[in-house]
Amino acid sequence: MADNEEFIAEFLIEASENLDQLDQDLVALEKQPDNPDRLGSIFRTVHTIKGTCGFFGFTKLSALSHHGEHLLGLLRDGKLKFNNQLASLLLELVDAIRVFLSSIESTGTEGDVAFPELCQQLDAACVLTDTATSDQVKEPTSSPTNDVDQGTRDIQDTSLNAAPPPKTERSSPAEITLPETDSLDRTPSTKAELRNENIRSASSLDATIRVDVQLLDTIVDLVGELVLARNHLRTTVTDEPSLVDAVNRIHTVTGELQEVAMKTRMAPVEQLFNKFPRIVRDVATACGKEVSLHIDGSDTELDRTLIEKIRDPLTHLIRNAIDHGIEPVHTRRAADKPSSGQISLRAFQESGQVTIEISDDGAGISVDAVRKKAVESGLLTNDATHDMSDERIFQFIFEPGFSTANAVTDISGRGVGMDVVRTNIESIGGTIDISSQRGVGTVVRVRIPLTLAIIPALIVSSGNERLAIPQSYIQELVALRENGKSHVIEGLEGSPVLRLRDRLIPVVYLDRWLGLRAWKERPTTGTVVVVKVDNHEFGLVVDAVTTAEDHTNHATETTGLWFIVVKAISSLLAPMGIYSGATVMGDGSVVLILDLRGITIAADIPAHTRRTADSQSSQTTSEEISQEGARYLVCETHRGHRVAVPLKQVQRLENFRASEVDPAGNLQFVKRNGELTQLIDPDRILHAPQLSSQSATNLSLVGVILPDELGRKALAVRRIIDVEAGHGQLEEVSKKNGVLGTLLIGDTATEILDISAASQWPGGSSVS
Amino acid sequence: MKTDFEPNSIQPQNQSRCCTFLIAEKCFAIDSDVVIEVLQKGAINNVPLASAAISGLLNLRGRIVPAIDLRTFLEFPLASSNIQQINLIVDIKNEWYCFLVDRLLDVRTYDSHQLTPPRNTSSDAITGVLPDTNHLIHFLSPEKILDGLLETKTKPLSVG
Repeated sequence: MADNEEFIAEFLIEASENLDQLDQDLVALEKQPDNPDRLGSIFRTVHTIKGTCGFFGFTKLSALSHHGEHLLGLLRDGKLKFNNQLASLLLELVDAIRVFLSSIESTGTEGDVAFPELCQQLDAACVLTDTATSDQVKEPTSSPTNDVDQGTRDIQDTSLNAAPPPKTERSSPAEITLPETDSLDRTPSTKAELRNENIRSASSLDATIRVDVQLLDTIVDLVGELVLARNHLRTTVTDEPSLVDAVNRIHTVTGELQEVAMKTRMAPVEQLFNKFPRIVRDVATACGKEVSLHIDGSDTELDRTLIEKIRDPLTHLIRNAIDHGIEPVHTRRAADKPSSGQISLRAFQESGQVTIEISDDGAGISVDAVRKKAVESGLLTNDATHDMSDERIFQFIFEPGFSTANAVTDISGRGVGMDVVRTNIESIGGTIDISSQRGVGTVVRVRIPLTLAIIPALIVSSGNERLAIPQSYIQELVALRENGKSHVIEGLEGSPVLRLRDRLIPVVYLDRWLGLRAWKERPTTGTVVVVKVDNHEFGLVVDAVTTAEDHTNHATETTGLWFIVVKAISSLLAPMGIYSGATVMGDGSVVLILDLRGITIAADIPAHTRRTADSQSSQTTSEEISQEGARYLVCETHRGHRVAVPLKQVQRLENFRASEVDPAGNLQFVKRNGELTQLIDPDRILHAPQLSSQSATNLSLVGVILPDELGRKALAVRRIIDVEAGHGQLEEVSKKNGVLGTLLIGDTATEILDISAASQWPGGSSVS
Repeated sequence: MKTDFEPNSIQPQNQSRCCTFLIAEKCFAIDSDVVIEVLQKGAINNVPLASAAISGLLNLRGRIVPAIDLRTFLEFPLASSNIQQINLIVDIKNEWYCFLVDRLLDVRTYDSHQLTPPRNTSSDAITGVLPDTNHLIHFLSPEKILDGLLETKTKPLSVG
């Protein structure tokens, strides 16, 4: 049976390709019902499937295709006119054959499925024709119609075979032989026919062969290994001229070989695009709309694995375009548009990426509606929207759950599943954007890398480790220097942040997070790699960014990017969710590729970066305080009180040890960077000074550093609770020196400290 | 390793081949069919936060293979620095792994009927014991080693 299995595997591949072709042909035929070539090709395909099934003993499938073939034979001979109903019926047949094939593929048998109704319908369609063309056929056809219920047993097969003679008499001689192919004693003729077909197709296809994908992958792997060996050779070579020549030749040939090997991974997007005419037809029919699909650039090549990955997102986008983009016929007529909607699917290569455009000439999306919805959902403030481009506003469509049942009607449903589409596209390093004009149409542009096998990445070092960060996630690099004017990391206790322009970005110290070395050993300088995963923006603190070595062939740019060959890591390490793969460097060492999506989850990075105010103001008025949604730094004092300071007025946070505090009379100072900072104990603002209890020495303090205008002052608190928004009105009952009042922050009433009055705070009198 | 075996005798029924090796002076064995090759040494790159028994990743002719230190896995003390561990490359369910062992002994045949179930063993991965002239041979199941490694949680993550 081993031989048979091989043949069956071949048959399955061929049949599934043929079925895809059938989908296209049938949809095309609907537009051009009297194209004899297409009909002929459809007939041959079904006939081949039927014949081969009979040969392998798949009787059910063979019987089913027989019903279809019979109908197709009538169509081909012009006995029957092709129409939409017949198209639907035949497409159903294609789907049914697919069900059988997938069952054969997974279990080796046809399974329990049967399609008696479909067989009946197919036969009924023949009966209709027969009635139309000649009355004498009525009687015999009634018998197979009854029999098909029981479906596919051999006995029925013979009765089916027996039934059609009146028809076959009228058919072309070629068709007479067809029903006979079912019976086993005729298999030689089937074989001969198959061979003939093979010869026929071989002549047109002898330029291509079928190769196992795994074999190609092995070649790519081996070539990668050859490249490494070559690199090694180049670094160790001597001055011997003949050897140098040979090594140089190997260098050139290996480079070319690598290029060619990489090309074997590529496939035209055609195989994916060819599925869409059928999908468009089905969806349009289901929505009761008229839609025609125009495909362009289907010869654009893309990594095979990527083609599979963009199938679902593209299908979703096309469905959306038909369902929500294209208007119903009457609306289109009223708008003076052609009644049939146009969807165009275009693929092209552009600057090392493949762009796929899905455009429709439908109703378009209203920017205002999206903006309104975004504001309602609290994704952005009204003011912020005015500076945003339309494209940026359309990006909100990709927010999870953006378009819900109560969404603005213009875009209702448009966003369902769009977050999933974006996630899928981004997971392969792609981007997606929308542009739309009301009443004219919508264009969705998906940009994806040519391949995932080689990706641009930054190699960073942290501790003694080298790690790769895929470029597609990287926003920018920020240098960290000690004490300089450059960026510093501020500690919101336990969760350090980087202040970058107007944003506070959470940072992860890669060395600490991965446990690479003791905290004390880390250098004071470094680089923050700012990355963005969906809506999560964060910084990874690393020691340095490694630039590519000269002697390796890794193509490098001045940006310091490496083009690394991605290899899968073991199923033992993948569940960690920290590494997405690994690569081999020129020196043969293995470098892990960070899985930023996984790290975002593991490190619990919050979505949406906090925004700080553009300028810090030391003037706080009651009006500002009561402003809904203003953000506060909520702290716990050493006595366990909850106090808050407007986040705007926090310069930065620093950790102190109680032992660092120098008492000077009634006041307390801490020395940092050669300067004294006065510590203010919020407990003393809230209550009468209680000096005696302030002597605990092993406490660690968090200093909330206040704006410079106030002199070097810091609030000494036990810990930072959170940064939260305030709600409602400021309750001024508790107002006193140093306290503005009480406000609901989070769910808890919290006293707001009056920073502007800091100089009058108890123990806060000016220091000279 | 398969080629190293001398096909000098016709194997009687119930005879299987195994590859024996030493870890911390104890004798262990795995089914020799899974062994692909044996390497003297190889640079192993660390995998931060992986469980302790995963020493890291090995580049085997472009193939990235996780190295598993059987000493750590079987909870023996760490190898002293003068032991040059041997890399045993094995194929488990079409994925390659590298087992680090102290010393390779030989490939031998054994009668699977002689295997006795293990008693009081420290690890589930030991599936049977075979008495030999000078010592006991502990049979290891490569699949169970992987299962054991997948069960062990990675080190807790600390944010920041």
